[in-house]
Amino acid sequence: MVRELAGRLAALDPDASAAVQVIAYFDRLVEARAGLEAIVRGAAVLAGCPARLVDPGHRVDVRVLGDGRRKDAASPPDPGWLHAPLGLENAVLWLERPGPAGPVHLMILERAAGVARDALERTRGRAASAVDPALVELLLDPAAPEADRLHAARRLRLPGTGVWAVAVAGGPPVIEHPGSRARTPGLGRRAGVGPAGRVADLPASWVAAKTALRLAAEGDEQDPGPRVVRADELGGLLVLAAAVGPDTEPAPDVRALDHAGGAAPWILSTLYAVASEPSLRTAAAALTLHHSTLQDRLTRAEHLLGWNIRQPQGRLRLQLAFALRRLHRHPPD
Amino acid sequence: MAVPAPPPFDPELAAALSAMAGFIPPSLTLEMLPALRETPISLPEVDLSRDGAVELRELTVPGPAGEPDISLLVLRPAGEPGPVPALYHIHGGGMIMGDARMIPAELVDMIVELKLAIVSVEYRLAPDHPHPAPVEDSYAGLVWTAKHADEIGVDPGRILVAGASAGGGLAAAVALLARDRSGPALIGQMLICPMLDDRNDTVSSHQMAGLGVWDRTSNDTGWTALLGDQRGGPGVSPYAAPARAADLSGLPPAFVDVGSAETFRDEDVAYATGIWQAGGVAELHVWPGGFHGFDMMAPHAAISQAAKAARLDWLRRILSA
Repeated sequence: MVRELAGRLAALDPDASAAVQVIAYFDRLVEARAGLEAIVRGAAVLAGCPARLVDPGHRVDVRVLGDGRRKDAASPPDPGWLHAPLGLENAVLWLERPGPAGPVHLMILERAAGVARDALERTRGRAASAVDPALVELLLDPAAPEADRLHAARRLRLPGTGVWAVAVAGGPPVIEHPGSRARTPGLGRRAGVGPAGRVADLPASWVAAKTALRLAAEGDEQDPGPRVVRADELGGLLVLAAAVGPDTEPAPDVRALDHAGGAAPWILSTLYAVASEPSLRTAAAALTLHHSTLQDRLTRAEHLLGWNIRQPQGRLRLQLAFALRRLHRHPPD
Repeated sequence: MAVPAPPPFDPELAAALSAMAGFIPPSLTLEMLPALRETPISLPEVDLSRDGAVELRELTVPGPAGEPDISLLVLRPAGEPGPVPALYHIHGGGMIMGDARMIPAELVDMIVELKLAIVSVEYRLAPDHPHPAPVEDSYAGLVWTAKHADEIGVDPGRILVAGASAGGGLAAAVALLARDRSGPALIGQMLICPMLDDRNDTVSSHQMAGLGVWDRTSNDTGWTALLGDQRGGPGVSPYAAPARAADLSGLPPAFVDVGSAETFRDEDVAYATGIWQAGGVAELHVWPGGFHGFDMMAPHAAISQAAKAARLDWLRRILSA
């Protein structure tokens, strides 16, 4: 009735059952909210070699031997050893064995690094802040008393300054800071990022983030453009956004852009490339088109739009038409 | 009876248990025994000689009167003339499995450092050999070890008994026999998660049903193999189930450890309590979230390391007393 885990797992073959065991081990650690040492120990014991988690920013340096004993080391890890960044500042998980990694070791590294990242976020107060929707809502509400907002910020373990709001299409508000996981771009959804400031400035950051979100594009053929837009890069477009409400009639240039877009599937992305790239040559490269093909397409597009888009003035007009079109497509709440 | 929710497993132990799911079902039945015995419990590749630092001898010695001979595995520090103290070891396996090589690794590791011999007995297993075969074989081996101590370089005045699980129960029973038959004087009894109570009816035995390692179904399997239909009845001998002992006085100092999340928790705590109430000496460790045999199955876990360290600490104190 007694069989050693170490003995069993030392004999792991790089097959499905080994993978299942590795996954089961780390999943259960997460479920039980195990600490960093337990995670590093799991990696060490499953891999049969010392494992080490180093996070210089937070003075975390945990090293565990292959038999599970904690034994920290003063010398830095050998860069030739297997390692995986946690995707969290400079934190790295090491397995003290040379590469190349077999499938089981890769899986151990990957799972342990992911679990360690979550544990670090949880225990070191770096959790993505959108954990308690009610607290986040309070922080973004300009009518709430400042004392309540500061209290909410402490409960969310936010720093006093250097925080900003993020508006995500179809999602709840998010509050981020330099220590939180940069998750917005990875979401694959449209997002607007408000300017960084003090906790007290979060309501303003939230308003700006929502405006930026209106100017974020789906990034597809029908709505080309950046998915993530930063409010502090918008300049006068913020003023423009305020002028376009749900009942505002689209300007003739927006109708022209819609008209052109309906003519052929490539038109809008071609026009967007021309509007956003520094030159026609880079636009052709971005579209992976030959320069002369792009020239032919532009002639057709200009005909549909009704204005020259190869002059600076025409490009500005095109950029404004795109911005207005997005503001109409994504009306304010 | 309404059974309260069981204590949670320690996080690292829970993870180890998940990874080993499938190797060790919590509930074992007698029908599973042939297959279980075919899978070696102790890993055969374990090197008990510790790269030659430990000397191994296998001896055949007389068993109980009128019964077959038994075999003893003797481990000594190589090149140490002796006499050295001896830890008389009785292996676990629910009375139905296991062999004399199944010695807790941290004890074997201490042979050289503590200048200690380990004598591990190969006793007959139930159900082929029901009570009293296992305990009488174990006792016969102890008597031989004390009588022939000089032949194996052991100090007969410095012998302790030790065992885990069923081996812990047998070690407790052997200590009772040694007291009642005026047998060898023992300096200690190390009872690691011992299997003590055939009645199988404590709160912990109910709480852990279907969970962890060696649940009440497995326990029923083991005790029924040993005692047949006598199990749980009024006439069970304390030498079969030491929890039945009415008198726990006059016993050597006891070390008892057990996990909080296992079948044996309550009977093991009760045994230590019984020793104190009888005016004896006992050290009790209850490791939170430990399942049965946790430190052997998941020796890497922080709590397993602590449990093993506590054991060795006690051993050092007993040997230096």
